[in-house]
Amino acid sequence: MSDSFRQATGRKVVSRTSAQDVGTVSHFLVDVKERRIAAVVVGRGKKARLVDWEHVSGFGLDAVMVSDEGAFRSALDDRERSGVDGSLDLVGKRVLTDRGNEVGTLDDVTFDPETGVVQMLRIGDREIPAGSLLGSGSYAVVLDRREEAAP
Amino acid sequence: MKLLVTASQINGLPVVTVGGGEDVAEVRDVIYDPEAGRLVGLTLNKRGFFSGRRREVLPAEAIHSIGRDAVMIVDESSLTAPEDAPDDIAHPAKERNVIGGDVLTEGGRSLGVVRDLALLVGSAGEVVGYQIEKPAGGHGYIPLPAQLAVSGQALVVPDVTEEFVRDDLVGLGAAVDEFRARLGLR
Repeated sequence: MSDSFRQATGRKVVSRTSAQDVGTVSHFLVDVKERRIAAVVVGRGKKARLVDWEHVSGFGLDAVMVSDEGAFRSALDDRERSGVDGSLDLVGKRVLTDRGNEVGTLDDVTFDPETGVVQMLRIGDREIPAGSLLGSGSYAVVLDRREEAAP
Repeated sequence: MKLLVTASQINGLPVVTVGGGEDVAEVRDVIYDPEAGRLVGLTLNKRGFFSGRRREVLPAEAIHSIGRDAVMIVDESSLTAPEDAPDDIAHPAKERNVIGGDVLTEGGRSLGVVRDLALLVGSAGEVVGYQIEKPAGGHGYIPLPAQLAVSGQALVVPDVTEEFVRDDLVGLGAAVDEFRARLGLR
């Protein structure tokens, strides 16, 4: 099973206890070391809030179910605040290798909706295993130099 | 085949952390030790237009990799306060004294005047050649031996260097290994 950041962005988020729409998915916060989704950002601008992956009870193709509205929280630090406003988004970011060479723009990220584990990174036609992901921030996504196409 | 960049192409490149993906500075200037044929380090500017000099410097040992599009460092702790940095970076008196120097072969032939440095992409600042302005005009590139005699006015290279003058960085990248092999055989 696989879902992607691009496909899931804009999907509605529903509270399992109240069965009410509570917003839509706007961004993903990724734990690069663990290569998994740390939190999902719901809503945009001042209304944006975070749901830690542990509180996502079902990441479905039609809706993202969260346990209840108590699962929502605000950003706790600068990095999370950047995540909430989208500046840490992987999709759309320039991709550098750790050699310092640019290899393109990240088009999409696939993940396992059961576990939140990031599977593949897509750059144009290339699918790159998430194991090559070394870092990501507001400026760039950094991949292992193995992912540099031979000159 | 080696991928190369010139020092002037490095100026202005962002300095990016591998783990954080953040651009923490940009390259202000390249500090070079011509006798050792390697970078000593980089001085830095803050990111963004007109944002001015950053106090910290980046010693060559702390560079993860110099690339075509960015200088990579492990994290921001790689940046060093000038008082903790090697003297050559804090007080770069030797800075660029090779630029403008005449390249003379051991046989006494002038190959041209040094205009820029050619560095190995993916290294922490290994200088493998120079861009020169040829006596007849126009640019060329020459490979460097590991060590050579340098003064403020000139530098002396082996005679064989003359056979390895190339028109561009790609040509130099292809010639470096052969040049070094030839020197090793002598």
